Amino acid sequence: MSALLERLAPAAELPRDGFTELRSQAQKVLMQHGFPHRKTENWKYTPLTLIEQRAFAGSLDVGTPPAPPALPFDCAVVHMHNGEIDPSATRLPRGASLTGLVADDVDVDALVADGPNDAFAWLNLARLGQGWKLVVDEAVKRPIVVVSTVDADFEGAVHPRLHVELAPDSALTLVAVQTGGGAGLHNAVLDIRMSERSTLLHAIDRSGGDTAWIEHATVRVAAGADYRAFISDAGGALTRQDLRVSLDAPNARGAIHGVATLEGRALVDYHTAIEHHVGPSESKERFRILADDRATGVFNGRILIVPGADDSHSEMNTGNLLLSENARINTKPELEIHAEEVTASHGATIGQLDDDARFYLRSRGLSEREATALLKYGFAAAVFDDLEPGPLADWLLERLKSRA
Amino acid sequence: MNQPQTQTQTQQQVDQLIQSRYKAGFYTDIESETVGAGLNEEIIAMISAKKNEPEWMLEWRLEAFHHWQTMVGPDWAKLNLPAIDFQKIHYYAAPKQKDRPKSLDDVDPKLLETFDKLGVPLHERARLAGVAVDAVFDSVSVGTTFQKELKEAGVIFCSFSEAVQEYPDLVREYLGSVVPYRDNYFACLNSAVFSDGSFVYIPKDTKCPMELSTYFRINARDTGQFERTLIIAEPGSEVSYLEGCTAPMRDENQLHAAVVELVAQEKAKIKYSTVQNWYPGDENGKGGIYNFVTKRGDCRGDDSRISWTQVETGSAITWKYPSCVLRGDRSAGEFYSVALTHNHQQADTGTKMIHLGKNTTSKIISKGISAGKSSNSYRGLVRVAKKAEGARNYTQCDSLLIGKTCGAHTFPYIESANPTARIEHEATTSRIGEDQLFYCQSRGLDEEEAVALIVDGFCKEVFKELPMEFAVEAKALLEISLEGAVG
Repeated sequence: MSALLERLAPAAELPRDGFTELRSQAQKVLMQHGFPHRKTENWKYTPLTLIEQRAFAGSLDVGTPPAPPALPFDCAVVHMHNGEIDPSATRLPRGASLTGLVADDVDVDALVADGPNDAFAWLNLARLGQGWKLVVDEAVKRPIVVVSTVDADFEGAVHPRLHVELAPDSALTLVAVQTGGGAGLHNAVLDIRMSERSTLLHAIDRSGGDTAWIEHATVRVAAGADYRAFISDAGGALTRQDLRVSLDAPNARGAIHGVATLEGRALVDYHTAIEHHVGPSESKERFRILADDRATGVFNGRILIVPGADDSHSEMNTGNLLLSENARINTKPELEIHAEEVTASHGATIGQLDDDARFYLRSRGLSEREATALLKYGFAAAVFDDLEPGPLADWLLERLKSRA
Repeated sequence: MNQPQTQTQTQQQVDQLIQSRYKAGFYTDIESETVGAGLNEEIIAMISAKKNEPEWMLEWRLEAFHHWQTMVGPDWAKLNLPAIDFQKIHYYAAPKQKDRPKSLDDVDPKLLETFDKLGVPLHERARLAGVAVDAVFDSVSVGTTFQKELKEAGVIFCSFSEAVQEYPDLVREYLGSVVPYRDNYFACLNSAVFSDGSFVYIPKDTKCPMELSTYFRINARDTGQFERTLIIAEPGSEVSYLEGCTAPMRDENQLHAAVVELVAQEKAKIKYSTVQNWYPGDENGKGGIYNFVTKRGDCRGDDSRISWTQVETGSAITWKYPSCVLRGDRSAGEFYSVALTHNHQQADTGTKMIHLGKNTTSKIISKGISAGKSSNSYRGLVRVAKKAEGARNYTQCDSLLIGKTCGAHTFPYIESANPTARIEHEATTSRIGEDQLFYCQSRGLDEEEAVALIVDGFCKEVFKELPMEFAVEAKALLEISLEGAVG
């Protein structure tokens, strides 16, 4: 067993509760297959050496968590600090409730079907503490914001797990605000299940700091349901997001709009997959990465249309700006099409800011810095074109502006 | 009309139809010399001895073999690849002949007839066609045309075995310099057991006076074909090279693992065109060739250019990524490809463009057509290294689906480490438009003709890169391969 496995998943006695069996099953998978490495196709661009170098020895502070950051729009806040939620501090709007997860909520078969490659999802299960389930029964107007923070000197490893269930015809705006801190590991799993005709607007605003921030998200979309993600990520020491949207029934729709603005030595690795299991279904994906300084941006977008999912339509577009000679962009937009009556397309570009545009802005009196910032912002903000105007859009764009 | 006659006629029609689908599927009954099945040092030494190779060549083969024994086969391609028993394959098969023929007049007429049947101009027709041909039958080259005329121009075009004898220094300098034997599993296997192939050397500032062509034919049963092609274009030289291949129809699978190395020095141009028509297997996926080929061009000099054009209609399984290493400043790489899969064929093919020099450019046009129960994947890599200032790439890969049970996949890897590089990639997947079909049919074409016309238009950008005779052949091949794909 590798040293990393020993550190992250020591074969210590596991707590005895409803999850014991699942934990031990996950532990076995991990012991057998270990962690991915450079030659693992899905991890070839993510240097896990960073995680290997960390001790994850720090003990977690059990004191009162700091107050979550204030948000400029009306919302209900669920605060997760160092991987823990204090339910007593949580006030949810009518139609939404937060309960503890039970073993039956975990779809281990799906994890098995994905194979041992999702090592961090298995690790999450192997070290699972208190998981949470957010149930939404009706159309909830007020956005629910899940704020995830860790201490500035956080050096441990936490494995939070959140499930979100939307009842038929329900609606939710779920905002994830994630801010990293110390050099630990935040290895989260997010499992979203959407019933018929439900709608979910899922916004993510993240800056990982020194924390290795890994999130494994799965969204299952039922008939007539509509999932839309809007992501703004500033990256961190190591940020890895797996986001899989499975369109499981007719007229399901899925969309991912994301932008990563990277500076310093930031690294993000986005692995998204949109799977059309039935037609008619529709999906759309737009992703932008802006990499400056010594940053690395990775985007692997996969569109799968399975046999028989006729009348599926999908388009993907990824644009990248390489802004410094030490930055790197690796992108792989994949199409895997097994049905005939479909349309699928992708486009990918890597380039730099247009000198003519910059010259024009300079001639209008903007400084070099302002001109560059404006062009970067314009390039990045285009991914939020499909987001309805309102306080949430304003806030996301404002955050983006401060990063561009 | 009486009943039995009708039956005979029908049978004839069926036979004709089968023949027309894969015209090259006949077998030539010729006495041949085959070494025993299996792969070990003795077999490799035997192949080397048969070719009367120098010591260093055998050493190189054995080094490759030892390395191959430490390797595992690739599993990353989107292919359903049955395990291959490498000990069951005969690694050498050659038509029996006492000495190597001095001229084409000495070549066994049966062999000439075979190539004649395949439309390869080896003999008197060669003069009319004006293309120099090296014909490779199983493991050996049986003849190369126009050698005298080429020699006058200073061009060397001969079989690989001959080159090892006649030009050992050139072979030693360049062999494995583009595709080292450690490169990958099948290239490594090829390095150990390759039996023949073509060798081309174009001297400085020379434009090769005619198109060069190699025709590969697998004939013997249970054999593999492992040929190696090496083309060296000295500064300022230019060559266009064509490659064709066929095999008899058989129920078992046969392995073809080739290596092609191209070296383009300063301002040299190499154009390499392939029409690959190995036996694809029958409509139930029985038989066919496993085509696992490593092709790579090295643009070593500034302003050099390498262009790959391929039309892939054959083979049960294709695993092939003709690549360009753009080392010289302002060097250019091109890749034009049509890959068609039908019935149970599988293809995982594409290209790699590695930009190392400044202001290097590359262009990739890939057209995939899937029909029947086949699977067709484009896999490509565009990598811009840190020092490749001003690199430029344009990629377009389109897939066309015909039928509900086939698959079309695209896996483009794009890696950029230079902020002045510009990379564009576009891909689409769709079926043949009903309105297009309807329009063609309203103009009097039947459905099959309409599909052929649309497919031809879909592939136009690639066909126009092919030399004329090849373009005509490619178009005809595509039409034949698509027969029965609609309706």
